Amino acid sequence: MLRTVLLAIGRLLAIMLLASFFGAMLIRVAPGFSSDEQQLNSGLSAQSIHAIREARLANSDIPSYYARYIASLLRGDLGISQSLNQPVREILRDRLPITLRSLMIALALAWLLGLTLAIAAQIVNSTPFTFLSDGVSGAFISTPAAVLALLFVLLRWPPEFAAALLVFPKIYRYCHNLLRESYELPHVLTARAKGAGPWRILQWHVVPTALPQLLALIGVSISIMIGVLLPIEVVCDVPGIGQLAWQAAESRDLPLLVNLTLIVALVTVCATMLSDTARSYFTHNPESKSDRRLLSMIRWRSAA
Amino acid sequence: MKMIRIAAAVLLVFAAVATLGEKYIAPAGYEHQFRESPDASPSSQHPLGTDDLGRDRLARLLHGMRVSLLLAPLAAALATALAAFMGGLAGYFGGWVERCLMLLVDVFLCVPWLFLLITVRAVLPLNISPEASVVVTFALLGFLGWAASARIICAGIRDMMKSEFVWMARAAGFSGFKLIRLHLLPNLRGTLLAQFWISVPVFIITEANLGVLGLGVSEPLPSLGSLLGELQRMVMLRPEPWQFVPLIVLIIVVSSFQILLGKHEVRA
Repeated sequence: MLRTVLLAIGRLLAIMLLASFFGAMLIRVAPGFSSDEQQLNSGLSAQSIHAIREARLANSDIPSYYARYIASLLRGDLGISQSLNQPVREILRDRLPITLRSLMIALALAWLLGLTLAIAAQIVNSTPFTFLSDGVSGAFISTPAAVLALLFVLLRWPPEFAAALLVFPKIYRYCHNLLRESYELPHVLTARAKGAGPWRILQWHVVPTALPQLLALIGVSISIMIGVLLPIEVVCDVPGIGQLAWQAAESRDLPLLVNLTLIVALVTVCATMLSDTARSYFTHNPESKSDRRLLSMIRWRSAA
Repeated sequence: MKMIRIAAAVLLVFAAVATLGEKYIAPAGYEHQFRESPDASPSSQHPLGTDDLGRDRLARLLHGMRVSLLLAPLAAALATALAAFMGGLAGYFGGWVERCLMLLVDVFLCVPWLFLLITVRAVLPLNISPEASVVVTFALLGFLGWAASARIICAGIRDMMKSEFVWMARAAGFSGFKLIRLHLLPNLRGTLLAQFWISVPVFIITEANLGVLGLGVSEPLPSLGSLLGELQRMVMLRPEPWQFVPLIVLIIVVSSFQILLGKHEVRA
């Protein structure tokens, strides 16, 4: 158990470090890395412009920059943004809650819509309904995030809804396939043949079977949602992490982009790991809560 | 369902034929400016009107579709080839080679793809020729879009390495790249083809996203993304539905791909 946890932490750290190092390398090789807009400011003295240039060039040796960055990160110092001239910690403190809030709302809406439609398609079991829900999800899965964001700006609708509409088709499709397979399992067919109602079948026979894979999808959906939120925040002018990443990439802001890559990798890996852990718990542990409920129900039925 | 698949295939063929027949359908050409009629409404001469520079929208749409329909498969082929190479190496050698390569795959998968792509494209130069911008955009899609496929291919090769025919081939003296090239990859043809076709609509949408953000194909060359970027000029939703034709065409094309690929959908 301890070995598994240590391996997972090691993998998490390796991925985070590699991802942020990759981000730093990208910025370093980008054209215009050594220049700064402030160098064009005619109000600055020659010494100030020279100091700005020196500050930029100090970060040009990526391995040594990265070693210094890790050392200061261990002390809790995230550095200072070159473009915003503000401590990265303060910027993140302002921006991170905005993106996390959008992420939560959009994810909740996407799951609500996707799962409800998938369940409804199974329970209603009518071709027109499935055709309609497949069509709606197909239309949104084929729409670029930036275009939908643009339409939401024009319509003055909340950008979280746009993110939810872009992610719900993936949840719907996966859940729809999963539930369809679960409904074809022998024990579900037996329950149906014995006259169990649709909600009872769903609650006691389908959900416990599908739960591990649904939990795995939560982690994946978080990763997808972060990717979707980036263009939405840029187009809708939401002052979150996505917009910040865009600005950091455009202004070659090395400290900011390295920290952002680190955060995005951390959130994504943690979400995936938690989903995997939950999935393996529900898959392998025969005494899980849902199983205990199922077993007690069977015993109660047998006794009756 | 079969009828829907046939309809989707017909729509795709129709789109491909339309892009090839651009010269006959919209003879004006995608860069010719009708300076006397900018922002014109649809007419017999310009069925979709003209843009703010007086260029025929239909000609630009057809040419943009051609760019996307031609280059998205090329980018998908590049991504699939890279995935086959990396996944093949990881699955064949196993051990620490597999662990290192899969760690690299994890890095690519853990940083959301669109985040990675937009960041990489933003740090590349934007003042390049239109032709170079097309190559850069789609090459980036290919170079950054291989990770998920590599994991699937690695798993396939790993399973195959335990099969009897591979043991027999190894006993007959096949090893290394010869074994991968002659025995392993041909048996993964179905998986590789599925990964290729799955990537095509994803790359079309991603190019559109980049185009809307101004990071795609440069002017005057059109692409579906750059045409959709024109929607940004709209201050409010006006009764000019023809401006949404590129979006509708994109949805139809990508949906057709999705319908045709329904059975190959990858489970998360």
